[in-house]
Amino acid sequence: MSILLRSSEIIKLPVVTFAGEDIAQIKDIMYGAHGGEVGGFTLNGRGLFSGPLKTALPWERVVGLGPDAVIIRDEDALTPTESLLAAMQSTGPAAGDILGSQVLTDDGAALGVVVDVVIEVADGGGGQADVVGYEIDPAEGLGRGTNRMLIPLPDTLSASGEYLMVPAAAREFVTDDLAGFGAAVDDFRAHLRGQR
Amino acid sequence: MLFSEAMGRKVVSTDTASTVGKVSDYVVDPRLPGIVALTLSRTPQGSALPWGNIIAFGVDAVTVPGAAAVVEPDQYLAELAGKPHTLRHKRVLTTSGVQLGTVLDVDFDPAMGRLAALMLEQGPIDAARLLGVGSYAVMVRA
Repeated sequence: MSILLRSSEIIKLPVVTFAGEDIAQIKDIMYGAHGGEVGGFTLNGRGLFSGPLKTALPWERVVGLGPDAVIIRDEDALTPTESLLAAMQSTGPAAGDILGSQVLTDDGAALGVVVDVVIEVADGGGGQADVVGYEIDPAEGLGRGTNRMLIPLPDTLSASGEYLMVPAAAREFVTDDLAGFGAAVDDFRAHLRGQR
Repeated sequence: MLFSEAMGRKVVSTDTASTVGKVSDYVVDPRLPGIVALTLSRTPQGSALPWGNIIAFGVDAVTVPGAAAVVEPDQYLAELAGKPHTLRHKRVLTTSGVQLGTVLDVDFDPAMGRLAALMLEQGPIDAARLLGVGSYAVMVRA
C-alpha cells in the first residue's frame, strides 16, 4: 500500500517527533534525482510569527509522511539547510524550478504548465518518496479544456527548470482526479517498459 | 478501569481511616507505559501520590498507609504532570503521519498501573503502541 499526496498538501504539515512535539513545519520540498524523488524539506518554525529555520530535514531521516504530519524520531534528524542544499543541487532542480515549468513531450508538444507535484509515499515510510506525476494547467493544444489535469511520469525524467521532458505516450494517460491516478501511473510505466 | 471512572475517587489513609485527598489527575510515563503517580486535590500537604505508595486502587477508594504517602512532586513527576504530557483531549498521530482521532479516555490496570488502551471515538488503541506524549500529539506506532 502506498499513498499519493500533492506537494501543496505536504507544505505547511507539522513536523512531529516520537515524543509528540511539533518542532517545525514544512516550508518547501527539495527534489533529488533530477526531480524524480523527494530529497528533503526546508522548514519554518511553528506558530504565526515564526520565520524560516536554519535547519532542514533530509528525506532519509523521515520516519513517516502522511496526510496529517511528517514524523521524525527526534530533533537530531535535522541538518543545516546549507549542507543539504549543496547536496541537492548536484542532483536536480528545487521545487520553485519545477512549479511553473513547461511540460514538453519528446515529440515536441507542450502539454501545459506545472502547478502541483504528485508524490507517492510507500506506506509506513522508509522507502523513497517518488515523484509520480504533475498537475498541470493544460495547454490549448492538448484540447482537454481548461480544468487542471494530472499527467503520470516515467521512473526517470529530465528537467532543466525551463522544460520538463516526458515521453509522448504520457498524453494517453492524462487523468483528472487523484483517485484513479495511482493506476494511471502504473499503467503508463508498464506501457513504457513494454516498449523497450 | 477508565481514567474518567476513577476521577474524584477518595484517597483514604489506613492508619487514621481518614480521607487525605481526591484523585484529580493521572501522571503517566509513556515509556512504560503506565501511571507513575496520581495528582490529588484537597490534601492537607503535598499534591502527588507516587504509584508505589498506594496500597490498593479499589473500586470505591484508593488506600494509602498514611498521610505521609502524599508528597510534593519531585522534578520527574512535575515534568510529566505538566499539560504537554496529559493524554486526554489530545490528537493521536501514527508514525505514518496519519491522525487517528482524539483521546477521549484511557483504560488502565488498577493493580499495576499499566495502561491498557487509549479510547478514541474510532475505537480503542493498544497502549503498547504508545511512543510519546507531547504538546502537539500522542504518538503511536503505525
